[in-house]
Order: sequence, then structure tokens, then C-alpha cells
Amino acid sequence: MSDRIIKNYFLWLLLGLSIAIIFLPFILSNDYQLRVWMLLLIYAVVALGLNLVVGLAGLVSLGQAGLLAIGAYTASILATKFGFEFIPAALAAMCLTGFFGVILAYPTLRVRGVYLAVITIAFGIVVENIAIEWSSVTGGTTGISNIPKIAFFGHALNDVRFYYLISFIFLISFIIHYNIRKSRFGRSMRAATQSEIAVRSVGINPISARTLAFTLAAVLTGIAGALYAYLNSYVNPDTFRFLDSLRYLLMVILGGSGTVLGPLLGAAILTYIPEFFQKFGVWQHFAYGALLVIVIFIMPLGIVGTIIFWYGKFQPKRLYKSNQWPALEPLVDTLIKQPIEKSQTCLCVNNLTVRFGGLVANNNISENIQTGSIHAIIGPNGAGKSTFLNCISGLYKATDGTIIFGNKNISGLPMHTLAKMGIARTFQNTELFGQMTVLENVLVGFHTKYKSGLLATIARWPTFTKEENHFHVLANSLLRYVGLDDYAHEEARNLPFGHQRRLEIARALAISPKVLLLDEPAAGLTHTEIEDLKRLINSLSEKNITIVLVEHHVEMIMALSNTVTVLDYGIVIASGAPDEVQENPMVIEAYFGSKGVTNA
Amino acid sequence: MSAIVQYLLSGISIGAIYSLIGLGFSIMWSASRAANFAHGDVVMLGAVLAVVFVGQGIPLILSIPIVVLICIIYGVLIERFAVTPFLKEVTGIGWMLSTIGIGIMLESFVTITFGSFAKPLVTPLIEKPIIILGAGIYPQELLIPVFAITFLLCLEIFYRRTLIGRAIRAVAFNQMAAGLMGINVKLMTAISFGIAAALGGGAGILIAPIVQASATMGLLLGLKGFAIAIIAGITNARGVVIMGLLYGIMEKFIEGFISSAAREAIGFTVIIFLLFIFPQGIFGKKEMLKV
Repeated sequence: MSDRIIKNYFLWLLLGLSIAIIFLPFILSNDYQLRVWMLLLIYAVVALGLNLVVGLAGLVSLGQAGLLAIGAYTASILATKFGFEFIPAALAAMCLTGFFGVILAYPTLRVRGVYLAVITIAFGIVVENIAIEWSSVTGGTTGISNIPKIAFFGHALNDVRFYYLISFIFLISFIIHYNIRKSRFGRSMRAATQSEIAVRSVGINPISARTLAFTLAAVLTGIAGALYAYLNSYVNPDTFRFLDSLRYLLMVILGGSGTVLGPLLGAAILTYIPEFFQKFGVWQHFAYGALLVIVIFIMPLGIVGTIIFWYGKFQPKRLYKSNQWPALEPLVDTLIKQPIEKSQTCLCVNNLTVRFGGLVANNNISENIQTGSIHAIIGPNGAGKSTFLNCISGLYKATDGTIIFGNKNISGLPMHTLAKMGIARTFQNTELFGQMTVLENVLVGFHTKYKSGLLATIARWPTFTKEENHFHVLANSLLRYVGLDDYAHEEARNLPFGHQRRLEIARALAISPKVLLLDEPAAGLTHTEIEDLKRLINSLSEKNITIVLVEHHVEMIMALSNTVTVLDYGIVIASGAPDEVQENPMVIEAYFGSKGVTNA
Repeated sequence: MSAIVQYLLSGISIGAIYSLIGLGFSIMWSASRAANFAHGDVVMLGAVLAVVFVGQGIPLILSIPIVVLICIIYGVLIERFAVTPFLKEVTGIGWMLSTIGIGIMLESFVTITFGSFAKPLVTPLIEKPIIILGAGIYPQELLIPVFAITFLLCLEIFYRRTLIGRAIRAVAFNQMAAGLMGINVKLMTAISFGIAAALGGGAGILIAPIVQASATMGLLLGLKGFAIAIIAGITNARGVVIMGLLYGIMEKFIEGFISSAAREAIGFTVIIFLLFIFPQGIFGKKEMLKV
């Protein structure tokens, strides 16, 4: 329901912007003002792209001016030396910047934050220096002038028409930006920022999310660069420096990173402010630095972000109620039910050894886990239970040994690949996407099941809409299953701890897992919650999902599990039916110490 | 032959400056997992203030401690007001932008008051070059690597042997645990930023006779210093110094064999590639992920 309203609000916004853009040239008194507006819209396109990187993917890029330079220089060189018209020149610029976007995104495989900032700064400096030094192509410090007037099929555009062209490209970028934001792609970018492990646990490779953000931003910057070159009719290295990269980042942050209107507002303010700063004369740069500091200190959420924040504050608080769980949900049944293959081996672990430096966390563990069974792993603290679970789920690589899943050797495969194959998990200290809503958390779990691709998503193709609605229904029914439907639009971090555990299970179920690994699911739960959890685990087992349960709560394990494996100091000391294991003298010793001590 | 010796010697000299700046980043980062991103401007401040004081007729030997003291105060203020308030953020954008913003303000303030052109610092150590194996080098240039290595040794002794040094290492390892053990975490962070700023200011004074002091000299020096610290593995002080020297030598060879115009483009490309290959840094250790 609220999604509908939001959607309508965007359509109204789009309509309002379009009308403003259409009538603007009639209000402006001179050509100079029109050119300022054209520049503003070009900057807004850069800022919209950068917002995907900063606001959604949570990465800092301080090299946007480098990408803009590549776009601008490519278009100018093609136009002046090869006589290309706007369309082919802009396409070439977009391809080239897109390529560099992919390259810049590659390091996010392993580095983020300040490391990435350094790489992007270095990239910007390299581009700037090449533009200065490779003078046979780029014209050196004087740059390239005499770029022809923008033309389509031999017809040159006048200023007003060129303005409408820029506006059109801006509106398209605005729509792409919004549609990406409100789709599984935008959700996966935001989720990867908030918990990288958790997105991998539902089958998403965070790198593809980040690469997409970087590439889209680069392509938008590329076309902006081409427009910039035609607008100025010359390019030179002076406008693509580190401080310019910083200005684009400031546009996003000042407007409100991650918001719909923030980048446009930021671009508008920072395009008009230099005109205003002229009064400061030599203090212009100083005022600029001061503005950056003021924004960071007083309005870290940016203008739009701050408005949304205060608007939220004044909304009436409503009380949520959690419902009975596990609830009967026929839809969930069809979603998660696995074909019956009981009493086969589902996971076969052979001689698994994990070493951390000198510490052997898992020593030569061999264990078979039966399909559809509840297999508990217990042991004292530091016995290697979590390490074992992390190995099966692909988070850690085993030093030695193999893991067979079904009939495939899965040892060493990354977590997101295993998740796609049907191994889901929860975490000891819950890993939710805290700043996303409860519903969005579950929707991220469905990411890999979507069939509609990037183009269908951006164009809002009917197949996309149908699919999105379908998964909304499924996500809501999963939430009803764990009794959290009332919380659907609350941010996950505001949930009480017990509810966060339930939400994590719901998200894991979204991938229709064959195996569900639960890492201490009862820790921190109340007595009644544990009873509910037991019923949930039983109900999952009835749907033939194999459950691997790491737990300290002995009573729960004895009541639930078909097989119990006891670890101590990284080795298996007992494995079998719960009551057998309970009698095992080695287990008693591991838990209570040697006999002499227990008798005392 | 003499050309190669020349490149090596001047490379080590400029490299030692990068080492000192990188070391500053390393010290700040170790204490707080953050840094003054505009640390290059502290170098600039050191150089410019030294030129100004000497220009006022204050003898160099007296100017140095005053300049270093001003840099320390600046560094601690940055830590207190621009870095620490943002340490709780996950994204790390806050302290980066706040320190960049203050850096821009400082740079433009200096441009206005000091002038936008470069001025040299006159010292007796650049009057006559020494000839080593046919290569000419000023004593000042030789002083820089000697200072860098001496400082590194002192720093290691300070970290390992003194109470404050050990406390700083404890803070670097785990702020909360160190705090619970009664270590004054705030003070240790402030001391670290103070040391880093002293080092930055010192680097500025050392380099001012060679490259001339100007308001804009800090930006590139700072970026290089940070990049070098990161490629080396930012918490490994020795690695940072080695990396700085190597980078300096590489720059001089690029200048000598290709062209001085290609220096930054090739240098930063190498930085990008090294970060692609060694994301944790060449001498750094991978941090273990725990769930």
C-alpha cells in the first residue's frame, strides 16, 4: 500500500520536474542563465551516478572528475579529429567510461572505505596527468578547442534545443537512478553496505552489486562528459582536478546521499554557489572548504536526508505486535518444501581440518549429515563448532579435507555460490541489514530468484512488475510464518533481539534452502521464544529441510535432534543418537571435568 | 654509472620524505583506524612556517622547535575536533571529508597570507653539493634519509620499551579493552596524532630547502604518503619506510629514463596496480573475519 503511494509520489515529482524544465527557457532572461542551467543539469547527471556508488553501495569515490575527463576528452577528440557527431561520440564516451568503471570497481573485491578512496584519487591524478602530458592527442594544458556545435544528422542544435537534449538525458538518468534504487539491484547494493557476510549468505556476490553501481555511475558520467565538452566547446585539464572530484562527492552528500532528490539539489547548490562565492574573492576556496566542514558537522545526512529524518521523527509512533509463530502459511510450504529424499547423505564431511596459525580449530572431522534430519553440533566453548559451520557455509576455507554436498564436492567454494546451491545460514550475532525494513531484508533473500534483468528493471517492463509483486507476496507470507508481518515496514535494527533472530531465519528461508545452518539460534531468547523456535525447527524438518544446529541449550537439543555430534578441542569425541551421546563418558568428562572432580 | 648513482641518491632523499609522511599516516591509523587525510597540509605548514620565521630573522635553530610545536598543536586539534567525533561511523566518510575540508581551508588561508608563489628556505646544507661516485648531492638531501631511519628506530624503541608506547600499541589493538584496563584512550590517540604532526612538520622543514615552500605543496605529498603507507600495509612502520624509499627511487628512475612529465601518471598507476595485487599491503597482514 505505502509502496503505491511512494510510486505515485515519484510520478508527481517527475511530472513537476518535467514541467519546470519545459518552461524554464521562457522565464530566463538571457543565454548566460540558460547555460548555467545546462551545466547544472550535467552536474546533476554526474551526481545521480555518484549517488548510486556513495548512497547505495556505500563506497567513496574521489575520482569522478577523472571519469568525466575521459568522457569529455573522448567526445572532443572524436568530434574534432574524426568528425563524429554527438550520438556516436557520446556512445563511445559512455563505453570507455563504463569500461573504466568496471576496472575501478574491481578492487572493491577486497578493499573498501579509505583504501578505495586512495585508488580513486590515484585514478583521477593519473587521468589528469595524462591529459596534461599526452599533448599530441589531448592538446596538453591548453586542451582541445573548436569542438563543433552539437548536431544530429547534420542539423546543428541551437542553445534552447541543446538545453532540451540535456534535460531529456537528465530525466532519463533520474528515472534510471530511481528505478535502480527501488529494485532488487538497489536493495543488494544497500544490503552489501550494511552486512557483506549476510548478502553472501543469501547468494549475492557483493562485488557484482558494487560493480554495477560503479559502472552505471561511470556510464552516466561518460555522457555527462560528452555533453560538457559540447556545451563549453573546449576542454582542458583544469576542470578535472582532485578538487572537482571532491565537489561531485560534496554535491551528493550536501543534497543527501541515498535520497532521490538529493543529488539534484546538491548539484544545483554547488553550481550556483560559486557565483555567490565570487563576492568572497580570494577567500573563495576557503569558503568552499568551510562549507564541506559545516555540512559534515551539522548535516551529515544532507539536506533531503535531514528533512526525511525530522519528518520521520514527527510521525506518530505506532505499537507493533508480534504474532504467534510458526504460523500456518500454505504459500511458505510451497516455497520451502524440499522433495523427499530422506535417509540419504546430504552433507558428507571428510577429514576436515582448519588451522588458524598454530591453532587447530577443527582436527580431522568426518561426519555424515542425513537429508531431512536435525543434526546438532555441541561442545564446550572454543570446541570449533562455529568454525565447522563456517566451513560448511563457505565462509572459511578448510586447510584440508573435503565436503560433499549431494554429489558435488563443494570444498573451497565461496559462500554465495553455496547459498545458490541451497545452503542457507543464520549467524551467532545476528547479521541483518539494519537500516533496511524488515520486508526488504526478506526481499534481499529472494534476489537470486529474480529472472528479469537490468534492462527490464530499469524500463519497468511488465515482467518485472509481475515478478516484484510476486516476491512481495511471498516475502509477506514468510513474515507471517515467523509472526513478524506487523513489523514489515519497520527498520530491522529497531527490532527486539528475539525478533531479529526470527527475521534472520525468514531471510534464510527465502532462498528455499536444502540445508539450513543455525548458529546458536536460541542464544538470548526467552523461555517461551525457545519453545516457539523448537516448533519452528520441527516444522522446517517436516518440510524435509536438513537442519544443522549449533547450540548450547542442551534440553532443546535433546528434544529436537536426530543426531548429536560432540566436539571438543576441534575433534569429534562422540556422535550418535541424543540419548547415546548423553551417556558417553567422554562427553560427560568434556562438560563436567574428569570423574574425580564430578564426585567431589 | 654516475647517472644511476645520482638517481639512487636523490631517490632515497625524496623517498625518505614520503617515508616520513607515510609513517605519520601509519601512526595515526594505528591509534584510531582513521587519519588526518590532509596530513600533506601539515607538511606544508611546517615548510611555510619555517620560511616565514627565518624570514622574520629568527634563527633556524630556534624556528624549528616553534614550528614543530605549532604543527603538534594543529595535529591534536584536528584529532580532537575533526577525527574523533566521526570514529563511530562505519563508512569512514565523515573523518575523511572533515579533514579534507579543514585541509582546503588551511591551504587557502596560507595562499592568501603567504602568497601563491614558492619560496626557498635557506640553510647552510644546500650551499655546496658533495660528490659521491660522480653524482652530486646536497648534504641536506642526505640528512633526510638519516633522519627518517633514526626516527624509525626511536619510534620502535618508544613503542616497545616505554609505558606510553606500549599503551598506544594496546589502544591500536583493541580500544575498548585498553580503555577497560585503565589506559586513557583519548590521551593516547592525541599523543599519536601529535607525533604524526611533529613528523609531518619536520618533513616539511627538511624538504623546504630542496623543493621550496608553497601553499599547494602538501596535496600531492600527502596523497603519495598515504598511498605508500597503504601499499606497504599501513600498520607496519618498517614496511612504510622501506616502501617510501623504494617509491622515491622509482620516481627518479622514471624521471631519468622516461621523462619527468610521466612521473605522476606512471607512479600513481603503479600504486593502483600494487593495491589491486596486495589489497592488505605488501607487508600487511590480512585481518581475520569473525562471525
